[in-house]
Amino acid sequence: MKFQLNIILGAAALFSLNMSAVVIATELPDSQHALPSVPKQADPIYIQPAALSDIPTGEFGDKVRLGYQLFVNTQQLRDKYVGNQLNCVNCHLNAGNKANASPLWGAYFAYPAYRKKNDKVNSFEERLQGCFTYSMNGKAPESGSKELVALSAYSYWLGMSGLMLQHNVAGPVPELSDSELVKGAKRDDFILPEAISSKMDQNALAQLPGRGYPAVPKAEQAYSPERGLIVYQAHCQSCHGEDGQGQIIAGVAALPPVWGPQSFNWGAGMHRVNTAADFIYENMPLGKSVQLTPQQAWDVAAYINSQDRPQDPRFKGNVPETQSQYHQHDGFYGQSVAGTVLGSASSANFPKK
Amino acid sequence: MNKKIIAATFVSSVFSLQVSASIPDASPKELQLTVPVPAQVCVSCHGAQGQGLEVAGPKLAGLSASYMVKQIKLFQIGQRQSPLMQPMAMTVQGDNIQVAADYFASQVADDVTLRYRGDKVVIEDPAEKLAYQGDWARDIPACFTCHGPSGAGAELFPRLAGQQASYIKSQLEAWQKGTRKGDADNMMGNVASKLTATEINALAHYFASLK
Repeated sequence: MKFQLNIILGAAALFSLNMSAVVIATELPDSQHALPSVPKQADPIYIQPAALSDIPTGEFGDKVRLGYQLFVNTQQLRDKYVGNQLNCVNCHLNAGNKANASPLWGAYFAYPAYRKKNDKVNSFEERLQGCFTYSMNGKAPESGSKELVALSAYSYWLGMSGLMLQHNVAGPVPELSDSELVKGAKRDDFILPEAISSKMDQNALAQLPGRGYPAVPKAEQAYSPERGLIVYQAHCQSCHGEDGQGQIIAGVAALPPVWGPQSFNWGAGMHRVNTAADFIYENMPLGKSVQLTPQQAWDVAAYINSQDRPQDPRFKGNVPETQSQYHQHDGFYGQSVAGTVLGSASSANFPKK
Repeated sequence: MNKKIIAATFVSSVFSLQVSASIPDASPKELQLTVPVPAQVCVSCHGAQGQGLEVAGPKLAGLSASYMVKQIKLFQIGQRQSPLMQPMAMTVQGDNIQVAADYFASQVADDVTLRYRGDKVVIEDPAEKLAYQGDWARDIPACFTCHGPSGAGAELFPRLAGQQASYIKSQLEAWQKGTRKGDADNMMGNVASKLTATEINALAHYFASLK
C-alpha cells in the first residue's frame, strides 16, 4: 500500500522534481541521484586492478596511496569533513575494488557525467563531494583539495591499472595532473593507451561490468519493514547491533551503524530502499555465508531505512516540502513510522564528535 | 556436584604439572578471597587473572562477558567441543555463568598497540595482509573488519591480539571442520573454510604476536 502510494505521488510530482533539480544544482554540489542499479550480466569479466604494491614511488604514487588510506580509514577526517562513524569502504567493499559493490574503477570512467535534469556536467570530484555531504553526513572538502585529489588519484589508478592489465598494456599507469585527476575519465581529452581506446569507446568504459550495484530481482510482495525486522534479527543484528549502531572496537566503528545519528543521512543514496536492497542482496552478509532471497533483501532494506537518521542537508525547515522536492522515490522520509514523521526530529548534519 | 569432581579430577590428572606451576603468586586460600566462587573452577586452566595457560586454557582477559557467557552455553549444548571444557562448562550453571564471565571480563588484558586499516598500504606478511585487507578473490573479508584494529575485539567478536597461537589454530580448524558453531549464519565457519592450513598457521602466530 505504502509502495503504491509512493508511485502515485512520484508520478504526480514529476514537475516539482524537475524544478528541484535546478535548485539543488545551485545550492549543493551533487543532487545525489539514484546510484546505478545495473542488470547483472550472465558471465561478466571484471577488470582486476593492480596490487597496491605496484603503486609507483614518487609524488603521484603518494597521492594514490593517500587516497587508499583515506578510503579505508575515513575516520581520520572526522570533524574535518566527516560527521558520522562511517568509512568509504563500508559500502564500497574491498577498498573500492569489489565488482558489484560500486567500485571506484567503475565510477571513475563514468565521470564527468552529464545530467539532462539540471543540464549540468558533474565532475568526479563533485560526485565525491556529494558522498561527504550525504553518506558521510559531513562537509565536502574544497574542490581541488588534497583529499579529493587523493581519492580521485586512487580511483583513477585502480581503473587504469585494471584496464592496462586487461589489454596487455605494459608500463606504469600514466601520471595525470591534479586538475585532470579530479575530472574523471569520461572526456574527450582523456588520454588512453591506443590498445584500450581501439577496443573500448567512452560509453563502453562508462559502463564497465561490475559498476554500481546490480539490480536485485523484484520481490513478490511489496516491501515490508515489519517482515524486515525479522530478517534483520536473523541475519544482520549480530554485526550491526540490535539498535543498528554497529560494533565499536578500540574507538572506531569496526562494523558500521546503519541508522541513527552516526550513519548516512536522509540525502544519501543508501537511504533509498531500492539502492539498499541492491547492495544487501549482492553483498551481505559480508563474505556471503548465506544468500538472502530478493524478498528478504527488500524487506530488510525497508526496515533499516524506516529508522531515523541525520537530516537531509537540503531541508529548509519544512519536512513535507523537502519530501515533495527530493523524496519522490522508494524511501521513508516524511512518512509516519511508529507515530513519528521521519525527518521531523532527525539529528543534525555534520555534528562534531 | 559429582560431575564437578570428576571433571576437576580429570583436568588435574592430565595437567597436574602445568597446574602446579601456574599458581605461584596466590595460595589456594588467597584465591578463594579474590576469585568469586563460580569462577574458581576456571582458574586452574585459565589462570587466576584469566591470563591463560598454554595448552590447557586460552586467555580470557580481554574477552567480553557477553562472549564468555555465550561460549559456556555453546559448550553446554555441544556446539563447541572439547573433552576438557565441555564437562567443566556443565559445572557452571544459572546466574553463576554471568558471575564467572564478569570476573574474567574485568581482568586487565595486555596492552596492544592499535594499528588501523590503511596505516600500512603495502603489506608483505601474508597473515597480516589477510588480517587487514582480506582476500576478496576468495570472498574473505579482512579479519579486523569484525575483530577490530589489531584484533582488539569487543562483545561477540573475541580479541585475537596476544591469544595463544595453539588455541587460535585449533579454533580455526574447528570452524573449518564444523565442530565449532554458534555464530550467526556460520559467518566464521564460512571464512575459515576458505583458509589453507598454511594460512591458519600463519594467522595463529601473527595474532599471538600482536602486542
